[in-house]
Amino acid sequence: MSLKESIQKLIQNRSTRAGLMLVLVAALTIEASSLMQLYFSRRTLANSASKQAEVQLQAMRNSIMDVVNQTEIVLQNNTWVTRWCLDHRDSLYRVSARIVQDNPGIIGSAVALVPGVDCDSPFCPYVCETEDSLSYLSLATEEYNYPSKEWYLKPLQLNSGYWSEPYIDVGGGEVMMTTFSLPIQNTAGITAAVLTADISIEWLGKLVEENKAYPNASGMILSRTGRFLFNASPELIMKQTVHELAGRMRDSVHFRKLNKAMLGGESGKMSVNFKGQRSYVYYAPVERTGWSMCFIVPYSDIFSDVRHTDFLVHLLQLLGFVMLLLILNSLIKSQVKFKEANETKERLEGDLRIASSIQMSMVPTVFPSRKDLDMSASIVPAREVGGDLYDFYIRDEKLYFCVGDVSGKGVPAALVMAVTRSAFRTVSAHEDSAERIVTTMNNGLTDTNDSDMFVTFFCGVLDLTNGHLNYCNAGHNPPVILTDSIQALPVEPNLPLGIVTGVDFKGQEIDLAYDDALFLYTDGVTEAENEDQEQFGEERMIDALHGRKGSIEHLNNIQKEVAAFVGSAPQSDDLTMLFIHYLGNSHENRITIDNDVKQISRLEGFVNGIASRHGLSATDASAINLALEEAVTNVVLYAYPKGQRGRIDLDSTFVDGHLEFALSDSGVEFDPTKAPDINVDASVEERPIGGLGIHLVRTIMDSVRYERKGGKNILRMTKNI
Amino acid sequence: MEIKVSKEKGEITVFLKGRLDTPAAQDAAAELEPLKAEADKTIVMDCKELSYISSSGLRIFLSFRKAAAEKGGKIIVRNITNDIRTVFMMTGFLNLFEIQ
Repeated sequence: MSLKESIQKLIQNRSTRAGLMLVLVAALTIEASSLMQLYFSRRTLANSASKQAEVQLQAMRNSIMDVVNQTEIVLQNNTWVTRWCLDHRDSLYRVSARIVQDNPGIIGSAVALVPGVDCDSPFCPYVCETEDSLSYLSLATEEYNYPSKEWYLKPLQLNSGYWSEPYIDVGGGEVMMTTFSLPIQNTAGITAAVLTADISIEWLGKLVEENKAYPNASGMILSRTGRFLFNASPELIMKQTVHELAGRMRDSVHFRKLNKAMLGGESGKMSVNFKGQRSYVYYAPVERTGWSMCFIVPYSDIFSDVRHTDFLVHLLQLLGFVMLLLILNSLIKSQVKFKEANETKERLEGDLRIASSIQMSMVPTVFPSRKDLDMSASIVPAREVGGDLYDFYIRDEKLYFCVGDVSGKGVPAALVMAVTRSAFRTVSAHEDSAERIVTTMNNGLTDTNDSDMFVTFFCGVLDLTNGHLNYCNAGHNPPVILTDSIQALPVEPNLPLGIVTGVDFKGQEIDLAYDDALFLYTDGVTEAENEDQEQFGEERMIDALHGRKGSIEHLNNIQKEVAAFVGSAPQSDDLTMLFIHYLGNSHENRITIDNDVKQISRLEGFVNGIASRHGLSATDASAINLALEEAVTNVVLYAYPKGQRGRIDLDSTFVDGHLEFALSDSGVEFDPTKAPDINVDASVEERPIGGLGIHLVRTIMDSVRYERKGGKNILRMTKNI
Repeated sequence: MEIKVSKEKGEITVFLKGRLDTPAAQDAAAELEPLKAEADKTIVMDCKELSYISSSGLRIFLSFRKAAAEKGGKIIVRNITNDIRTVFMMTGFLNLFEIQ
């Protein structure tokens, strides 16, 4: 069966459908709950990641603000001394030097005077750290031109401290720095100088790395113009802006948005696609400097635990479903198998029923309705078809009958039974001796028997005209003969049929008188067991045969007795019975003779019987005898082909003062009344040698009529008396 | 069926005893066949004890009669019972034989 078909079959099956629904509901429930769990655990993880990021960003901000505050405080603290020194310009170097010397975070400091306030020309002493010592420089050079610098202009413009855009110090070893500038008022309250402190921000990278909570997170710090102060890719630092970078990013929309938010000094969280990974960006500003920091954390880092759990959960679910499906599949398979087994069984039972009905239809169930015979037969099949058989038919006034029991049960036994039955019919069609019938059947059955089955068989040929029975028993239960007493018919110990070929079976003979009967049966009767495993037995059977009854009543009675004995125990074997009650031989109104010339002599006794019953004279009897003999001789000599056995029946009836004789045979059609009569007055020379017989018939009998009926020649002759 | 043949003084007598029905006639025909050679003489069929005769028996009589006619002999049927006589009458045999 193809997969599609089996699936269709499964879906059509109600219980299968229920099973599938069950699995489906279980799957949906488990999946939904695990999805819920996943959702909530992801939300929890996302929240905790947000908190984590917030904490880290705060820590970073604090670190940066420490430096910023420190620097601002240092310069604030030096405001007074700087103001004082404005009048003593040379001492301004000392102010700067001390700021650098006293504060390890500050690597350079300058005091830029505002030209035109306390001095006419630009003046800007600058002190910075170099290696181990301090360098004293003046920034008031034409090349540098400090009054044009942002760090100088912005604080003046804002009139407050100002953190410059970070920059790379080209002179002092390519260090990334930022400068805090503070305007200084002179004693008159006019802004006369800008005090600066340079701080290195190379440590920002370290700071970011230290605060990174997830292994694959990347931290970034942007300046207020959007340049990278720190990025995992060093080549971008100070050279690229997020905006520029966003243009090249796949998720440019989000990065532009992020850039805007960060440069706007906002803090928050955003989802982006970063380097091909779904990631969260946590960002927060750094006050005063105008910087903004962010962490980009890939989902994979945040949800890695969940992912593992999720993977495991799904794996378990998958395993569970697979197991459920396997169980369901095996259930369905076993159900399908069961169903198939059932179907096979049903089919087999159907076959058996058919076989049983064949068995039943093969045995004749219409019994001859004759005055000289009362017979019945029955088969009560066991649960399944068995190998019992009976058969009978009447040919030429002889009853051919048999009972058999094939070893084994079921269809094979039924087949052997059918073969046996047809062998019986075939062989007995040309044979009227039971022993020859059985011998021939045995040879046929043994030659074609591949199945080691054998048949116990009883065959009888009862001449209904005289009660003469010749029979042959091949290993079957001896029938019961009911005469004045009831006893087993004596039988020769022959083998059953189908065992050894070429054996001559020995037959026997017995004459039945009027009212004698034969009861044939199979061991289903005698071996019927009750619940205590006792057998019905021959004794009970013979007891049950007592009393004068019709054949049907006898069979019903035995069946009833067996059923009563067996009780509720199951019938283990076929129950086959045949009852033959012979009621012929009571009068002599019929004679049957073979087509054998020698038997013609029997007519004398027949005619004498009639003569004595009807008080005929010896002369009349003799005349009738002669006429009948002539008619019979004609049939004996010419009706049947040479060598073929045939029979001739002669019936006599007495009606209205005349005797009617009906001579019948199954030979070739011949109407003797059509034969031309001889000329009794012819001379010796003219007299033909034949033709005397029919002439005598015509002369003696008062009427002679011929008819062909049912394949028989019937010659009706009447004699008035 | 018993058959006895006696030949005395040149006269051949066949004594038939019992029923000469079809089976008996078959045997009798065979038994009497050699006697046909003497059909030029007088053959007497003594039927005193012949109780029954069928056409087969009659045929033996007829075959002897034909043989006698051919060879110039004579067949005499003697002592027939009434029943046999009736049969001879019915078959026209009374005209063919000399009945004594």
